[in-house]
Amino acid sequence: MVRPDSPHNYPGTLGHRPIAVQFHAGSHYVALRLLEGYLPKEKIKLVHYGSPQQRFEAMWNGEVDACVVMEPWIALAEKLGCKAVCEGHYLGAENASDDMDEATFAAINRAVAKAVDMLNADKRKYLHYLIEDPRMAAALQKYGGLTPEDFHLPRLRYSYTTPYTDEIVEDTYHWMVRWGLLTGAACSADLVDNRVCSAADTPAAD
Amino acid sequence: MKKVVSEVSGTVFSLPWLIARDQGLFEAEGIDMEFVRARPSGAVTHTENPEEVNPILGHVAFEEARVSIYRA
Repeated sequence: MVRPDSPHNYPGTLGHRPIAVQFHAGSHYVALRLLEGYLPKEKIKLVHYGSPQQRFEAMWNGEVDACVVMEPWIALAEKLGCKAVCEGHYLGAENASDDMDEATFAAINRAVAKAVDMLNADKRKYLHYLIEDPRMAAALQKYGGLTPEDFHLPRLRYSYTTPYTDEIVEDTYHWMVRWGLLTGAACSADLVDNRVCSAADTPAAD
Repeated sequence: MKKVVSEVSGTVFSLPWLIARDQGLFEAEGIDMEFVRARPSGAVTHTENPEEVNPILGHVAFEEARVSIYRA
């Protein structure tokens, strides 16, 4: 996102300009994936600013030329007249610890799948969670607040939990190694273990 | 009921989980789900060097084995 008065209207003019992200998180990786289509690596200038609010405010206050944010900050930025110069999506991840057993993980996923169905049936009904989150409510109000009507619903994409395919793991691994985000000494099979998720992906007998 | 502690970082990632909690869907599956908030792993500094940022980010509770699952 860029400010309403920003001269930037597409990613190709953002070379050597600071862009606020959170390193080692989705905003970092999706920024690289989006910008590498427009700019050579040496011109991409990402700066770690931390939380989405800190990234948004760095952009809004003019400390950086652009920021990478997710909802509800996209909706807020657009409500304030900011411009999206590019937009990308990535797979969310469920990260479970070693003590998560297959039956528990499957039960959790069945519950979440039902919630996904409810959410997709009426997304706007549940957007109050994004607006009323105590960590964000005050900040959103500071900039005029948000209502569920301010969100672009097709941007919100929720699906059932499924294991990563080997192809996705391999493609992502090679992309991360190419960008120096992983050492080539690591093997993708060492980093991703789908055993619990694969078992949990099996529907319940009921 | 099986007790599970889950971290919530960005609310947008956990939206179905919050719905599942409030609609009793976890309880119906025999899961006693507790949510804890992510918290920063260190002071935020503005840097262009990713190596200066702790990649654990806010997932401290997961790293300390106080939660079993988180989303990002």
